[in-house]
This record gives sequence, structure tokens and C-alpha cells, in this order.
Amino acid sequence: MATATAVEKPRRRQAHARPTVLIVGNPNVGKSVLFHKLTGRYVTVSNYPGTTVEVARGLMRYRGQEFVIIDSPGMYSLVPITEEERVARRILLSDRPDLVLHVIDAKNLARTLPLTVQLIETGVPVVVVLNMMDELERAGLTIQVDALAQQLGVPVLPTVCLSGQGVPAVKELIYERLAAPHSDLSSRD
Amino acid sequence: MSVSPPPTPTYPPAIEDAVAQICDLLRGDYALSPRTIALLLLQDDPEIWDEVATQENASTLERIRALKTALEKADQTPLAWQIEYQRQLWSQQLAAQVTQATRPPRPQTLADWIGWLCMNPWTGFPILAFVLYFGLYQFVGVFGAGTVVELIEEKLFGTYINPFVENIVRSVVPWQTVQELLVGEYGVWTLGVTYAIALILPIVTFFFLVFALLEDTGYLPRLAMLIDRAFKALGLNGRAVIPIVLGFGCDTMATVVTRVLETRRERVITTLLLTLTIPCSAQLGVVLALLSAYPLGLTLWAGVIALVFLATGWLAAQVLPGRATPFYMEIPPMRLPSLSNVLLKTLARLQWYFLEVLPLFLIASVLIWVGQLTGLFNLALRALNPLTQLLDLPPQTGVAFLFGFFRRDYGAAGLYDLHERGLLTGNDMLITSVVLTLFVPCVAQFLITIKERGWKTALAMFVIAMTVAFGVGFILSRALGMLGVQVG
Repeated sequence: MATATAVEKPRRRQAHARPTVLIVGNPNVGKSVLFHKLTGRYVTVSNYPGTTVEVARGLMRYRGQEFVIIDSPGMYSLVPITEEERVARRILLSDRPDLVLHVIDAKNLARTLPLTVQLIETGVPVVVVLNMMDELERAGLTIQVDALAQQLGVPVLPTVCLSGQGVPAVKELIYERLAAPHSDLSSRD
Repeated sequence: MSVSPPPTPTYPPAIEDAVAQICDLLRGDYALSPRTIALLLLQDDPEIWDEVATQENASTLERIRALKTALEKADQTPLAWQIEYQRQLWSQQLAAQVTQATRPPRPQTLADWIGWLCMNPWTGFPILAFVLYFGLYQFVGVFGAGTVVELIEEKLFGTYINPFVENIVRSVVPWQTVQELLVGEYGVWTLGVTYAIALILPIVTFFFLVFALLEDTGYLPRLAMLIDRAFKALGLNGRAVIPIVLGFGCDTMATVVTRVLETRRERVITTLLLTLTIPCSAQLGVVLALLSAYPLGLTLWAGVIALVFLATGWLAAQVLPGRATPFYMEIPPMRLPSLSNVLLKTLARLQWYFLEVLPLFLIASVLIWVGQLTGLFNLALRALNPLTQLLDLPPQTGVAFLFGFFRRDYGAAGLYDLHERGLLTGNDMLITSVVLTLFVPCVAQFLITIKERGWKTALAMFVIAMTVAFGVGFILSRALGMLGVQVG
């Protein structure tokens, strides 16, 4: 059978297509704020479940390159229960993003990591965005970011999306990972 | 990193074994890794089973099913649970390993305290009253709907723009009928465009601003929790707080927003409550203007409307089949909203609002034009006569009711006029206000109800609103008479 294609069938599109980045995470962790900061385009950001059922797409321009950014509805698990989760997973399945940004509320690390695990299992390149570091600090806690990144085997970027802190590093990483000419995307295998 | 084992958790050996075998069997092209596909299959994910069924042949499917059945026989614990348990355990260990406490956590920050006070019934309802008074009444009602609208509608449009447009149209278009359609009293420009831009735009702008602020601070979810229990009695849950609160801004838009509710039952109940009881900012403006001189009247008005709200919701919940759906919500911390986010959100909503609602105002002006041309209007006025008589109101109030349906401020102006001429007593004003509030707010809302709920439901609601409006008005008028209450 077509074993060669099975191995070689990366989630990369044709060379001319723009690389796609999907933002995922629980509700109310700052996905939409990050989306807004990355693309400069607005999407309704809300504390209320139900208001972000619509999926926003925007374009991020960085160092002369364009990247498609997709903001997904809130999800808790890859096994969907709610309509929002179903929509989020469908994007993952149908859009085949080149990179997934998993936005995490740093205060809720233990509760959120199961989704990180599921995302890493899918084989899609994952970057963890550890958001709300300011609230974590206010709660009297710190997270050893490097140790977390090492244990997970994926990059972990601390941010405070609301103030924009750490967002340049996210952009830089997207660029490093996805900008043409074709970098070593599939080195994870 | 060299050939280290995969960083994700390892599941119980039997599951890992089955996963490995399924991975070997899968031949299709999937967006997710074979490992994920295998795990989801074992967890009985219908969507993934469908996907695999289209890509694999029958014998592969059979073998995967056999592997799954064998696992389920060997261990009674559901596979999904076993897998999830392992993930949770792994996650908790990792989180504990990398998280450190720098100092004992502050027991409660100020934000936590405020958040708690908003949800506690004893403090929550006074806070709600405070928010409604300053956010809704003072800012949206008095400032937005009063000061700013006056400036834009009367000064800008009334004095400068409208006479200008009127002149052009009257000199360019020779036919009087068409002139009427465009710039007549209820013309597409005079009513549709002016109403939408000069009256509704400023009001909803101020309202959206307040709404976005409440949303981004984290107040709305807390309000939803606060009144969740009360709403259960009405067949709703806390989720319905969003359309209901929005209704105070514009019932038309709130009816659109009932889409966030989960069941059709909840949508119907909420739409009915919006149609009947929730006064939009334009209605609020009229009522407050009419009754501001009569504190007792204003109190009675609020009491009657609240009573009808509760009775309607309760009755609807009894009549409509189904149950209130459970309400789970994550309560985010109270936060200081980012100003740019609030402004951008307001802007985005305004844009959406205009696309959805402006066309309805244009349709409304065409309808009125037709109504006047064909004499349907006069017919409707005559039909209203017996009703106004029933309420002991002067027949001229019928004009206010009917025109109020198309253009609220016109109805109000008519009422002012009657009041000035001494034709309306304080009691009349109270009854008129109650009927006006319970009546279908405006033609735009009626049209959107048809669009969202369908012809039959919309028509039923219209009839219910008519009946309740005049029914309650009648009871109130008799009760006031019997008890000898004089409002002013």
C-alpha cells in the first residue's frame, strides 16, 4: 500500500498556501485576546459561554510573511460534549492546521494538561501558551516553564495576553516554525 | 532530544496493546495521528467511527471492533474512564512537579470579594439595582436616550439634514405618492433612516458600551448565577440573562440573541417575555417621561410589569412541554476590562446590529406607506376604539398605541399632547404606560420574531401580547377605580 505517502503525508499544504495556526483552549483563557493581538483584527471576546461559537479567522503578517490564524470555540477535551467542542474539533480535523497554540490559564494547569496531552497525541505540532501569568503570580504561585516544556516535549511560552506581555515571542515562534522556506517541521517524528 | 519515550502518558498495558494493534491496522488518511484515532475509537467516538468506516475496509473495522470488545470484556471499567483517569493522574503529577508556591496564597483578593458579593443574594440584588440604576437608567436612558438623542435627532437631523433631503426629493421627484414614500411623515428616509441613525444608533451604542463593560469585568456570568434559581421557576436558566438584559437595550436584537439558548422551549419562553414585558430603551424613555412626575405611578408600573413577567414565565413553563436545562458555567475572575477591547466589541456589535435591524426599519416605513395609502391605518384605528373605551381612555390614545408600534417617540409625543391638553389624568398615564409596555414593542421586533420563531409562533405571541396588554390594562383600570387610588 501507499506506505510512502502515509509517512510523507504531512499536514503541510502546497508550497503557495499560507501556513495555518489554530488557537485552542478552555473557555475564558484569553484565546480571543491572543487572536486579536496576533491578527490585529477584532473578534468578540467574551466571558460568557455561547458568544464565541462563531469561528474567527484572521491574517497575521510578520516579517513579510502571512499566516492564517483561526480562533476556535472553547474546548475542555478532544472528546466533544458541547456544540462548541464539536466545532473546535471539527476545525482541527478539517483545516489540518500546521501549528496548534494551546492557550492555558496558568492557574488551572493541572486541570488543563489533559487537553494538552490529547493535542500532543494527535501528532499536530503543539505550542503551549501559558497565559495569565500575572494572575498566577498574584495567587502566590510560580511555574517552572522550562521544566514543563521539557516534560511535555513542546515549547511553552509564558504570556499575559491582555497586556500583550509575551505575545512577541509567540509571533516569533510561529514565524520560526512555519515561515517558508520549508523548515524542519516534521522533525518531531 | 534523542529517542526519548513519548512525553504523553502511558495507558494501562491492555489498552496500549490494543492501541498499537489498531495503529497497525489503520490505512486511511487522517488529520490526527493513528494513536489519537485509536484512542478515540476505543472511547466510542461516533464521529471518528464514521470517519474510519469510510476509509477502512470491512475486515479492518471488524478487527478493531473485536479488539475493543475484548478489552471491554476483560475490564468492566469503561475504557473512556480508564483513559481519562490516566491522563488526569499524569497531568496532576506533572502540574504538581512544576508548580511552586512562592508565598502563602492571599486568601481573598479584592476582586474575589467583589465577585463573591455579586453572587450572594443579599448583596447581589442591591448591586444589581445599583448597576441597573446607573448603568441603564442614568447612562443609557437619561444621557444616551435623552441628551444625546436630542442633540442628534432634533438638532442635527431635524434642523439641518432632513429639511435638506426633503427639499431635494420634493424638487426631483414629481409624484406626491413617491415623495411620501421617501420623505413623508413615515417615509423611508424620515422614519427608516432617521429613526435608525438618529434615535436607535445613539441609544444602542450607549447600551452596548455598558453591556461590553459588564461582560468583560466578569459581572454577567455572576448575574447569571445570581438569578439562575429564580429563572428555573420560569422554565429558563441563568443563560437567559443575556437576552433578557439585552432586551432593555433593544428587544429586536435580544430576540436575535435568544440563539444562545439551548432548547427551542427556552427560546420561545424568552421571546415571549421579551415581546410582552421587557421594555426596550425607547419604551423606557417614553414611560419614564410620562410618569416621572408621578412617583407612585412609576412604582405601580414597575410592580405590574414585574408581576406580569413572573406570571407569564411561570405559566409558559407549565404549558410548554419540557424541563429547564441544567446550567453549568465557569465563573471567570473579576477583571479590569481592557478599554480597547470594550470599544472594539461595541463597534463589532453595532455593525452587526445595523446589518440585521436597519433593513427592518426600511420595511416598516414601506408598510406604513402602504397602510396609509390603502386606508388600512384608519381601519385599524377604528378597531382599537372599543378597546380604548374599555380602559376609559380617550380615543386619541389609540393613535398613540398604533403609531407607537411603528414609531415609539411619535406615540409618546401624542401622549404628551393629550396630557398637556388635560385629556389624560395621572391614572390614564399609568394605564397607558402599562399597555404600551406590554404591547408588542415595535414592528421591527415583530418581524424578527417571525424570522426567528416562524409565522405561527410569532402570530400567537402577537395575539397573546395584545390580549395581555389590554387585559391587564382593563384590570388595572378597574382596580384603581375600585380602590379609589389616584396616582396624580
